[in-house]
Amino acid sequence: MIARMARLLLRGVADLGRNPLAQALTLCAVTLTAFLAGLFLLLLVNLNQALLSAGGDFVFQVYWAPGTPEDALRDQWARLDALPGFQAKTTYTPAQALDELGLALGGEAKAIGGLTGGALPPTAVVSLRAPEADPAVFVQQTLSALQGLPGVADIHYSALQVDLARSWQRFARTVLWPLIGLLGFTAALVVGNTVRLSLAGRRDEVDILRLVGAGRWYIQLPLLVGGAVQGLAGGALALGLLALAHLALADLAATPPLNMTFAFLPLGHCLALAGGMALAGALASLVALRE
Amino acid sequence: MDTTPEPMVRVQHVSHNFGAHWALRNVTFSLGKGGFLFLCGPSGAGKTTLLRLLHGALPLGRGAAEVAGFQLKGLSGARVPLLRRQVSVVFQDFRILPGRSVADNVALPLEVRAVPRATVRKRVNAVLRSLGLDDKALCPCSWLSGGEQQRVAIARAIVVNPQLLLADEPTGNLDRALALHLMEIFKQFNTFGTTIILATHNRDVMAAVPGARHLELTDGRVTAASWRDADLEVAPAEPEDGPARPKPGGRR
Repeated sequence: MIARMARLLLRGVADLGRNPLAQALTLCAVTLTAFLAGLFLLLLVNLNQALLSAGGDFVFQVYWAPGTPEDALRDQWARLDALPGFQAKTTYTPAQALDELGLALGGEAKAIGGLTGGALPPTAVVSLRAPEADPAVFVQQTLSALQGLPGVADIHYSALQVDLARSWQRFARTVLWPLIGLLGFTAALVVGNTVRLSLAGRRDEVDILRLVGAGRWYIQLPLLVGGAVQGLAGGALALGLLALAHLALADLAATPPLNMTFAFLPLGHCLALAGGMALAGALASLVALRE
Repeated sequence: MDTTPEPMVRVQHVSHNFGAHWALRNVTFSLGKGGFLFLCGPSGAGKTTLLRLLHGALPLGRGAAEVAGFQLKGLSGARVPLLRRQVSVVFQDFRILPGRSVADNVALPLEVRAVPRATVRKRVNAVLRSLGLDDKALCPCSWLSGGEQQRVAIARAIVVNPQLLLADEPTGNLDRALALHLMEIFKQFNTFGTTIILATHNRDVMAAVPGARHLELTDGRVTAASWRDADLEVAPAEPEDGPARPKPGGRR
């Protein structure tokens, strides 16, 4: 039974060599469809990544009440490193803050000549990167953590940035990923139809097999394997082409003014692309036989 | 010639239509095991439709039929291959795979039945030898003449020792000499016990098997028969309650 099954599976692969030209054309069509779908996915994934990372970078300006002891300040500034998504921080004692202000004012520095260090509050500018979860939640959690620090008088951050990040996430969730799903479905339909048409040329063979008493699986299994192999091969070749396209695009994206990191598709996406093509090929074989 | 009373084929009041056209009307006859029957009649008489019903290529709508122990009425799609392992078919247009070799074509029904390879080789060689095709075993069928291709189709049909062999105008594309030669081959297999139903309108072919029964169809009705028994109705009759609704997916 197992040997018979193995023979049928192998026959499905061997049958692909029976009409090389038709099979090659089918493979080309499957590869190009998968490549176009993959390219779109690659661009969207990178765009999504770029927008999320830009929208996910938050800068908090934390002000302590004037007169907070410097030891306590330094201790709290050290604890800022432990905040989730911590990227960088710059701290200013009142004296440092005054120096910075003087430098920033340049020619107008004499206007603050009478001020002492105590006139400005101790400050920390903390850069954080939100994880991919809801940025608003992240901001709220960070605010709570910062407000919990003793002596913190005020905190500033950009609320507009939160809205932007949130909007992009909502857009991605409601439009982009369904669009990618639709694109995948369309690609599967095109691939399926191509495989189905290539099987139409083997209708006589199927009729003759039925005539001599072949059962359903004897006929279906090799065709199903053939369709799946065609889809898988097309998907794998498309991934190869995508890798080449990625090299060119990554170079392009790395140059100014973009200066973007252009990543290749994650492994899960690659497997989904190749697996989806294989599944479409196999299903198309089944549909072709039922017609 | 029909020496055993046990029927291989029993057809009772079978009618079949394609839309408004009635291809068979109330056909009733039976044929015992080992029998040889000529289905004759002009083109469009219903011979091919009857043969297609008998090997499960068309669903049986009206009437009842039993072939090689299979009740055709309500025969499920899963059981059709089992029926076809008892019933072999030869067509006028050969229906062989032109790109494959003669031996591969003849081996096809044996491979479908999971016969061991050594046995397949032995049986294929024996059948090809008996039909004078042993020197062409490895040739692609597309290289063969029409007569040789028809012999390949016959070899494929008989290599499994079927209980019943249906042949639809198997000599239609052949010259007279070749047609008579093929009839000799059919006669030979009939003597070995294979029941044969052969559709033809060629009188020479029918004359080649003197002991065979003849059933004449005209416009879907049995209008003449060379024998009389209780399972035979020659009187033409219309279906009683109008055309049967054709089933979807008429092909199997």
